[in-house]
Amino acid sequence: MAPEPPLLSMSGITKSFPGVRALDGVDLDVQAGEVHCLLGQNGAGKSTLIKVLAGAHQPDGGTIRWRGEDVTLRSPIAAMRLGIATIYQELDLVEHLSVAENVHLGHEPTTAGFVVRGKAARASTAALLHRLGHPEIDPARLVGELSAAQQQIVSMARALSHDVRLIVMDEPSAALDPDEVDNLFRIVGDLTADGVAVVYISHRLEEIRRIGDRVTVLKDGRAVAGALPAKTTPTREVVALMTGRNVEYVFPERPVTDAPAAGKPLLEVRGLARDGEFEPLDLTLYPGEIVGLAGLVGSGRSEILETIYGARKATAGQVVVDGRALRPGSVRSAVRAGLGLAPEERKAQALLMLESVTRNVSVSSLSRFSRAGWIDRGAERDAARAATRELSLRPDNPSVPVRTLSGGNQQKAVLARWILRGCRVLLLDEPTRGVDVGARAELYAVVRRLADEGLGVLLVSSEVPEVLGLADRVLVLREGRVVHTAPARELDEHRVLDLVMEGSPAS
Amino acid sequence: MPEPTFTSRFTSRRGLLFGTAAVSAGALLTGCTSNDPKDEEPAANDRPAADDKPGKQVTIGFAGPQADHGWLNAINDNAKSRAKKYSDVTLEITEGSNDTAQQIGQIETLINKKVDVLVVLPADGKALTQVGLKAMRAGIPVVNLDRIFNTPQAYRCWIGGDNYGMGLNAGHYIGEKLKGKADARVIELAGLDNLELTKQRTQGFDDALKNYPNIKKVARQAAEFTVESGQAKMAQLLQAQPRFDALWNHDDDQGVGALRAIEQAGRDDFLMVGGAGALSAFQAIKQDNGVLKATVLYPPTMAASAIDLARALGQGKGVGGLAEYEIPASITLYSAVVDKENVDQYMSTGFR
Amino acid sequence: MTQPVSPPRGSTDKVPQVPLPAWRGLVARADVRTLSLLGVLAALIVIGGVTKPDEFLDTRNLQLVLTQASVIGVVTVGMTFVITSGGIDLSVGAIVALASVWATTVATQEYGFGGILFTSVLVGLGCGLVNGLLIAYGGMVPFIATLAMLASARGLALQITDGKTQIVTVDGILDLGERDAYVLGVPPLVMVFAVVTIIGWLLLNRTTFGRRTVAVGGNAEAARLAGIDVRRQRLYLYLLSGLCCGIAAFLLIILSGSGQNTNGNLYELDAIAAAIIGGTLLSGGRGTITGSVLGVLIFTTITNIFALNNLQSDVQQIAKGAIIVAAVLVQRRTASTT
Repeated sequence: MAPEPPLLSMSGITKSFPGVRALDGVDLDVQAGEVHCLLGQNGAGKSTLIKVLAGAHQPDGGTIRWRGEDVTLRSPIAAMRLGIATIYQELDLVEHLSVAENVHLGHEPTTAGFVVRGKAARASTAALLHRLGHPEIDPARLVGELSAAQQQIVSMARALSHDVRLIVMDEPSAALDPDEVDNLFRIVGDLTADGVAVVYISHRLEEIRRIGDRVTVLKDGRAVAGALPAKTTPTREVVALMTGRNVEYVFPERPVTDAPAAGKPLLEVRGLARDGEFEPLDLTLYPGEIVGLAGLVGSGRSEILETIYGARKATAGQVVVDGRALRPGSVRSAVRAGLGLAPEERKAQALLMLESVTRNVSVSSLSRFSRAGWIDRGAERDAARAATRELSLRPDNPSVPVRTLSGGNQQKAVLARWILRGCRVLLLDEPTRGVDVGARAELYAVVRRLADEGLGVLLVSSEVPEVLGLADRVLVLREGRVVHTAPARELDEHRVLDLVMEGSPAS
Repeated sequence: MPEPTFTSRFTSRRGLLFGTAAVSAGALLTGCTSNDPKDEEPAANDRPAADDKPGKQVTIGFAGPQADHGWLNAINDNAKSRAKKYSDVTLEITEGSNDTAQQIGQIETLINKKVDVLVVLPADGKALTQVGLKAMRAGIPVVNLDRIFNTPQAYRCWIGGDNYGMGLNAGHYIGEKLKGKADARVIELAGLDNLELTKQRTQGFDDALKNYPNIKKVARQAAEFTVESGQAKMAQLLQAQPRFDALWNHDDDQGVGALRAIEQAGRDDFLMVGGAGALSAFQAIKQDNGVLKATVLYPPTMAASAIDLARALGQGKGVGGLAEYEIPASITLYSAVVDKENVDQYMSTGFR
Repeated sequence: MTQPVSPPRGSTDKVPQVPLPAWRGLVARADVRTLSLLGVLAALIVIGGVTKPDEFLDTRNLQLVLTQASVIGVVTVGMTFVITSGGIDLSVGAIVALASVWATTVATQEYGFGGILFTSVLVGLGCGLVNGLLIAYGGMVPFIATLAMLASARGLALQITDGKTQIVTVDGILDLGERDAYVLGVPPLVMVFAVVTIIGWLLLNRTTFGRRTVAVGGNAEAARLAGIDVRRQRLYLYLLSGLCCGIAAFLLIILSGSGQNTNGNLYELDAIAAAIIGGTLLSGGRGTITGSVLGVLIFTTITNIFALNNLQSDVQQIAKGAIIVAAVLVQRRTASTT
């Protein structure tokens, strides 16, 4: 008997970015008509893998076979022509175009090759939306006016408007209500019944159990398990696969005592909330303490940090530093009080990419080197050099442009900025994103040393081991709410993953 | 500092910090355009066309471009003061506009108001031809001022200046002054080069110079009818030509800047002829202590004449001094040369 | 801390292996651009010298070129700051026009030299203040806010003059433009231009104000999160541009001996073009006063050479366009190779 070749067979896929090896020989087999789930922590390589599959990234090595034949996916269009459609987590719809225009974007039905037949486009869009169980969405409406869940449906309609054989769905349920999730599963069921394969990415194990056929687990750019039965593999085994370490992160020693350093609290957050983002939060940070916020994307962790910092305006509550309340929504008030933020998107939110390291470091402390607005550049350079040396920033030459630095060293430049400013509370949002594995240990040591010198650190990370390894105390967040608070040593990765995915301690 | 508003041209002027300036300037202007019949016999074209005696009431609609230039401003003032002079004329004047569509709208409004005669100085003659035709078909005679419509069917009478003649007369004036001077060199400071009229003025100037084999035009630069550009281009011309005998400048407004450049360079070794007929030019010619010796007219009094023609059309009269029963279909004004000899006669027509 | 961390094998990390000495880095980056501009200027001087040796290579011609560059030069210095901060000021020409006519009304002239100077500067600052408030605190896009100012200021200038040319009769003003006022051969206008340039250079390169300008232009969000008052900085920047326009208007009054509502025609485009050619990024984050001034000098020199050779305005305009394109292309190349 001639075994049917798998619809898709990726083997030995590698892909590197500057400083990071995102994929390190990944294998993935997908059969027609199955729901194949991809599991893995943030940074495990899921996003890179599906971008390779969508033709958005070119792999450095490995082969892709499609229905038994070698193919090269040179561009998203090439992938689409083969019948591979991708629905990204961050929707890529054009808000100012109508539903029908979005669905047919790039392959509009035309007369004579260029006159768009709007009526035909609307009719076929209506048919697709009906099939997706959402006939109430008007194809003529602007996408920007739709709810997030409706936009998701439009995205799906767009994928189905092609002659599709494989659909990749990246966390499609993240923005959906429970009954909308049911509808989504019905659609997935219909598709697979037609022989379409679905690659389904989700953090929610319960979903995977409900609709998945097989599971591939990614870890540090490798597939650590392929073709596990989705319904029967025990949760414990899946979590173990996701967390099992190949590279052990080296975390610095924690101080022996659990009790927060004596004295007054440095930072008090009282009932802080933002409507639609996170619920009222209380938090106290003492000098020398590192407090971690663990949670998935969308759990409100970054929003909390930015609201404490005043970059977003709180709808309730207050932030108190040294007994004095900060002006809500004022970054300057926060900075004056001694807060410093190392934001998640370093390039977009922290760095002046055209400028030297010195100028990036000194930008928050200019008044220290200036008299009547006149900058003493010698003093500026010396101070910046001292701050970057303290963090072992490489290269040891602060006059180089910051854009030539590696991710880890760029992060150090941001930290140096706040050290120079004499900041007392550091807010770290995903401090090791885009930082390669070796450089992480160094960053961890830096953060711990700063805490030992009396700073308070509030750490947000989607990498659970990082939070557990670095923080003294951990707040676990789920959908804008703190679901658990405990000293880090009383938690393990398995428990935290259960908490962030399931919302209650696993039994 | 009080921020002036745009409510009204006149009230807002007084709201300015130094607002009295504009008001006093206005007063001076009315003085110089002379609506006072007791004036010593002024310009020849200041003479009424029909007779002065009140006749049938005539409503004249007047539409012109935005008065963003001294000459255009003088056009409006000439029309207004001339109309005021006649007790039997009512002038319906529109807010000047350089926007073709807006000017069409304004003229259509005047047609709908059923004015007796229309005087139109189009922002763009070609583009406004249709609305001229429309007025004529509605039985309203149109006096087309200066910028000509595409077809004679769109106007009853055209009256305007002679750009070619300006150049010609300037050339002849300079030619006569430099007669007998061997190897004479002249330069030309032209106006906006993308306008037809600039080409015509240059053509006339060149044609006149052909009569004087001892004269050579050695340089030409185009300014933009503004003081600033006149200064800039003249400064360059002076540097480029260390020696020349005469200069023709197309426009007295840009001539203000050109004269500044000449003064700044400390030059006085040539004679200068201007164009258009600005008051400042007349005054300089009269004082005769600089290089400016003459200017060639492109008289804004044509607007006053247009009002005369319109009144005569409305009352069914002819033009005095001609044997014709009817008003001519086209009147081209003479581009007179004003120099020290006759400047007093023209002083009252000078515009600011 | 221990050893520097080497990137994993197979990665395409762009970390520089051996850092260049600081001075070489400077020559390699900042000055390639300036040198290329100086090269263009030198080439123009050769062209001028060859085609019109007597008229071009002459002290009077140098004085002329620098004088003609002064007015637009001062405007360009202000514009450079605004563009460096990621903004744009389309209203500069209109502000020059308004300031110059307001300062030359008969009533203002009665206050003499001081009245004219004071009024020009004050009108410039006033317009800059309105621009700044609309953009920084009104949340308007600079393009739109300054476009509105362009229209209003031009309209107001027309309303004040009624289309008439306002001739200046204050001798103290007129004298400043004439040769007797030159100090050691330097025209007063050129001195003002030089002083504005030097102050502008120092302000951009040596002060916290300049640093904040660059930070706001390079990454406004990062500047905000670093604790910079981005809005106040923007307000100051448009005030500065307005101030430069006021000074330029005063210079123009001296030069042309008059105020006219058509003054400053298309200055916005000339100033933007000079700044961009000089190496200031239109998207913000990098600005160079030296480059801007060289850009102005290049344009003025071209105009001068063309006029001396009696070429007509159509040819001048075509060449100007070609030079803008060429300069930007050269810049892109130098930017991508460094």
